[in-house]
Amino acid sequence: MRVFSFQYTRKSSIIHKIDPRAKLVYLILFTILVVYYSNPIILFLIFLSSIPMVVLGKVIDRWKISIRSALFFIIFIFIFNFIGIFWSTGSLEYSIILSIAMSIRFIALISIFSAFFLTTSPEDLMQSMVQLKIPYEYALTFNMSMRFVPTLTRELQIIMDAQKSRGLELERGNILQKVRKYIPILVPLIINSFRRAEMIADAMESRAFGASKERTSFYTLTMGRKDYIFIIVSFISFFAILSLKLFFGIG
Amino acid sequence: MIEFKGVYFSYVPGEYVIKNINLFINRGEILAILGGNGAGKTTLVKHINGLLKPQLGYVKVLGMNTKEVSVAKLAKQVGLVFQNPDHQLFAETVEKEVMFALINFGFPPEEIKSRTEKILRGLDLIEYKDRSPFTLSGGEKKRLALAAVLCYDPSIIILDEPTTGQDYNQKRNLAKLLKRFNEEGKTIIIVTHDIEFVADFIPRCIIMSNGEIVADGPSDDILTRGELLMANKLLMPQLVEICYELSINPPSIKFDVVLSKVRAIMKGEI
Repeated sequence: MRVFSFQYTRKSSIIHKIDPRAKLVYLILFTILVVYYSNPIILFLIFLSSIPMVVLGKVIDRWKISIRSALFFIIFIFIFNFIGIFWSTGSLEYSIILSIAMSIRFIALISIFSAFFLTTSPEDLMQSMVQLKIPYEYALTFNMSMRFVPTLTRELQIIMDAQKSRGLELERGNILQKVRKYIPILVPLIINSFRRAEMIADAMESRAFGASKERTSFYTLTMGRKDYIFIIVSFISFFAILSLKLFFGIG
Repeated sequence: MIEFKGVYFSYVPGEYVIKNINLFINRGEILAILGGNGAGKTTLVKHINGLLKPQLGYVKVLGMNTKEVSVAKLAKQVGLVFQNPDHQLFAETVEKEVMFALINFGFPPEEIKSRTEKILRGLDLIEYKDRSPFTLSGGEKKRLALAAVLCYDPSIIILDEPTTGQDYNQKRNLAKLLKRFNEEGKTIIIVTHDIEFVADFIPRCIIMSNGEIVADGPSDDILTRGELLMANKLLMPQLVEICYELSINPPSIKFDVVLSKVRAIMKGEI
């Protein structure tokens, strides 16, 4: 089983070299668009707009893994939305279109976030957050939670294997029984996470975390010409897509 | 009764973690799988209870092709104890932890009770039966993980790194326990890089390196081949090292044999 792998790999590409703050602008603008529109065609357009980032960033393989695991969830998103909307409106056509829109919205979000996280090194991201005056503790917490996603996925796999070896059959039973079957998997996962958090805290304190109020940085990020161009291009595409609704009334 | 034939497996397409594995294990055998980190030991044993299915070749366990039967069905015959007990302990009490597998396999209630009590006694855990598994020490947790698998009496027992974090006494107790189960006719497979444990207690061993089996035979032959061990990131057992240093030929992993040779040297007989 492979879950969303937002895992960064060191590579050299134009997108990798762009300042995380510039990419953050892109991330925010396009997330706004995804949430704002509920027209399936425009959402699909937004989805397509993230592909150049992925191609230029040379992270197609990992992006595909993200998209593939998202496709799995889409089945549920579609079914539940369809049932919910059909229940309240009673219109078949409307329900189908909106459910499709919801599904594409999810894929588009996953794609945009993948494009961002796959090409942005965690250290740079943290440094840029600090330079954006986000308190260091919060930046670190965010960064560490991202850092432990792959660790947790790996651990989840081991725990599932261990419990399956003891005769746990996850596939069998009705929904309620299935949910109960996840207890033997979630308990070790949660307990190990707490234990690990404690160990990390100890390790950090023994390396003088929080010893002085003022932290210095070994290196600082500076915005260059390509970063400003990237921001401008992001804004142009943002307004171009937004104008579809504002001036042409589509979506 | 366990047969691997031309087995290949990869997690990432194209990068085989185990390659061309051919292996035959008889009923009632006790053997060790040795190898450095990343040699493919754990991947190999996960094929025996069907957690992983071969991409090429086949694995047959007790006449069943692992591709054709469920993990649950194989697990009833193949008890696999994972390396880290923290990856499987979850119940409120030690007793319930042991009962988990018994309930999964549908044993009748009276038998669940009697089996749980028997295995907890056998592994010196009976006094902790109402305690939370999370309050146990490292060694006790390891024994509990073992109990949680042994309770349903699988005919094949696989232990992944059972000796890490155990002191010498606990290791000796483990060896005794394994010997007892082996005498009852169970097949036992141990994955480890604890070469001294293998030299002392396990008669057959397999060495893996880069996903392939590079040696398979009696421990007193394989563990005395210094070059083979070094080439595969394994240390020689200390007795063998002494043999090499004192030019005792042929080297041995048997304490008595080495001792008598050393005595002979001291008396100036050699």
